[in-house]
Amino acid sequence: MSSIADGTGRVEARPASERRSLPMTAKVALLALAAAIPLLFAGDYQLRFLAEILIIGTAVLSLDLLVGFGGLVSLGHAVFFGGAAYAAAIAAQTLGADVVVMLAVGIATGMASALLMGVVVMRTIALFFLILSLIVGQIVWEVVFHWREVTGGADGLRGFPVLTLHTGFATIPLNNGVALYLAALVLALAAYLAARSFVTAPIGRALLGTRERQLRMSALGYSIPRIRLMALLASGAIAGAAGALYPFVNQYVGPNAVHWTMSAMMIIMLVIGGVGSLYGAFIGSAIYLGIQTYVSSYTDRWQLVVGLVFVLTVMIMPKGVVAGLKAAFGRRKDAEGRS
Amino acid sequence: MTERFPLSRRSFLATAGATAVTGAIGAPALAQTANKPLKIGMVTSLSGPFTALGESMRAGMQMFLAENGGKLAGRAVELIVEDDQAKPDEGVRKFRKLLGQDNVDIVSGVISSAVALAVRDVVTEAKALTFISAGSANDLARKAASPFVFRPTKTNWMLGHTAGQWAFEKLGKSGCLTIAADYAAGRESVSDFVASYQQQGGKVGKQLWAPLGTTDFGPLLTTIAAERPEFIFSFFAGSDAVRFLRQMREYRLHGKVKLIGSGALFDQEDVVSAVKEAALGGLNTCNQSPTAPSSAAFTKAYQAARNAMPGEMGTAGYVTGQVIKAAVERVQGDLSNKEKVKEALLAKEVETVFGPMPFDPRNNQAILDIYVNEIKEGAGGPVNQVIHTYKAVRDPGPVA
Repeated sequence: MSSIADGTGRVEARPASERRSLPMTAKVALLALAAAIPLLFAGDYQLRFLAEILIIGTAVLSLDLLVGFGGLVSLGHAVFFGGAAYAAAIAAQTLGADVVVMLAVGIATGMASALLMGVVVMRTIALFFLILSLIVGQIVWEVVFHWREVTGGADGLRGFPVLTLHTGFATIPLNNGVALYLAALVLALAAYLAARSFVTAPIGRALLGTRERQLRMSALGYSIPRIRLMALLASGAIAGAAGALYPFVNQYVGPNAVHWTMSAMMIIMLVIGGVGSLYGAFIGSAIYLGIQTYVSSYTDRWQLVVGLVFVLTVMIMPKGVVAGLKAAFGRRKDAEGRS
Repeated sequence: MTERFPLSRRSFLATAGATAVTGAIGAPALAQTANKPLKIGMVTSLSGPFTALGESMRAGMQMFLAENGGKLAGRAVELIVEDDQAKPDEGVRKFRKLLGQDNVDIVSGVISSAVALAVRDVVTEAKALTFISAGSANDLARKAASPFVFRPTKTNWMLGHTAGQWAFEKLGKSGCLTIAADYAAGRESVSDFVASYQQQGGKVGKQLWAPLGTTDFGPLLTTIAAERPEFIFSFFAGSDAVRFLRQMREYRLHGKVKLIGSGALFDQEDVVSAVKEAALGGLNTCNQSPTAPSSAAFTKAYQAARNAMPGEMGTAGYVTGQVIKAAVERVQGDLSNKEKVKEALLAKEVETVFGPMPFDPRNNQAILDIYVNEIKEGAGGPVNQVIHTYKAVRDPGPVA
């Protein structure tokens, strides 16, 4: 196993950086502080917006499992996310929108669609994986778009109940900015920890192995399709959990959520934030949605800004914005230290 | 020790930076002053399939505000325009931004019916004074009607219904084919047209659908050529309409089959001016016409400012301004009591470029004159010429 990790560099690098940074408790405290600050200053709209960033960021995080660790670039990822969103919105109409039930529905839908896609794509890689995932995604989109009785067709679904939390004594409605933000925060944190433990577990290492040395892994007796399927399932579960909460931020879900452009948007977010870093998913989603929401108030050409950020990231900071900035600062510090 | 601190400081700075960013997002909400100008938010489509329509709508509103010296009822007006990309999810986000962050007094705009439906719950929950400039889903005047959502525009029923009447009287009792964009407005226009046409005894043949943003109508046009209908009822908007009419001509169907549609199909500024001859002879029912008497002065001013004849969206932006002005002036600029604003606006009709506009007290839906336009050769190219006016058409409303 150690030879596999050697091949990537990424896995080996992590313990080294951890040794040099803040102790774990301080990190957690700072993170909690950062998470609490919006609660004090942001209004309802901003909190909802942050909730959306966290939810879409969680979906991007699940995509990172495939792209960053398995080398599987998928253009059908919106199916896991949007499919779960639709499932949750539809289920909410009859079951009520209890957050636990919604998450269960979302995760189940995410995993089921991952299994479906896995059967089609698990033996392929690179271009073929990309195309097949795109095709599966568009099939689902077609179904959603035309099945008007269930999905509302092009108009999408609205008018379903608001998210609630059963606490044994009382039922709390989660329909304001604060509650949605907190729910999204818990989701994002749980997803991050789950994804981290997945990539550090043997299955995660094996996934890296399939990306780096496919032939060698086969020779060692690993079943590559099986490993990829496991990764797809894990990814689908996380994306599904994120999708389950998504309709409740705006009390609306539309066919855009399953369209391939949604998948492409997630890939752009991932590249901007940093492929293979996990946390970068949230940074990328914040940058993209921030540009989309705030820059578009000043210019109609906001897509150009997104494009420029993307190109610049790829050219100057191929490991993502955070890693890029860290490296830039680090280099300067090193230079200062030497002189 | 010294090796550790720079790094920890860096992580601290990173966290502080992230904190500052989230703080900055929140800051504008706090920066409120007491006596502020009248803030009008407008959400329209400045990218995506309705870009040209959205730009016209914005221009119409800006023109109106400029003509009024940037003031309504003595209050300076600040207009904030946002792009919804014709996507419902994005529209919802932008409405929330305008209401939650910019704290606008009035929200307006919206081209896509899907967006209008999606934002309905948001504005209703916020009890925001809302003026839907163009989103025309019937439900907005029916079961999704909302106490403070005003609709200075038509519903799809108004156009589909009148087109059905006109088609039965003038075009033929059978041999009708329909082709339309597969989304809320297209579906509704067609079903209202079909209902009205069949009610009088007309017979409808094949019904074809094309997704929003279709680039190649080829397969559908060959079906039309094979079916040989006597006339076609169609609903497309924006660039879809332009491509449809051009390809009708390329497939040599133009001129052979009479075409009637809802206003958007032959929109003066966005479609007719682009396809020119390919539009000639086309019929449409619309709440707007550049040659309507009520539009004479506006058409001239718009031509001078934009070097184009006004279409529905340019006019809709202007009319939204006119209606907002009437509402604001009737309450002397004080919008604090929304019930009062509503009462004042419903009390008597507003004179607009569309024509006289009373509001239906049941659903705040405008009651409008619907023009039957025919595209004829005019001085500056093909133009929508009014050939008939259906007076004071009123949506069936909540009972339907």
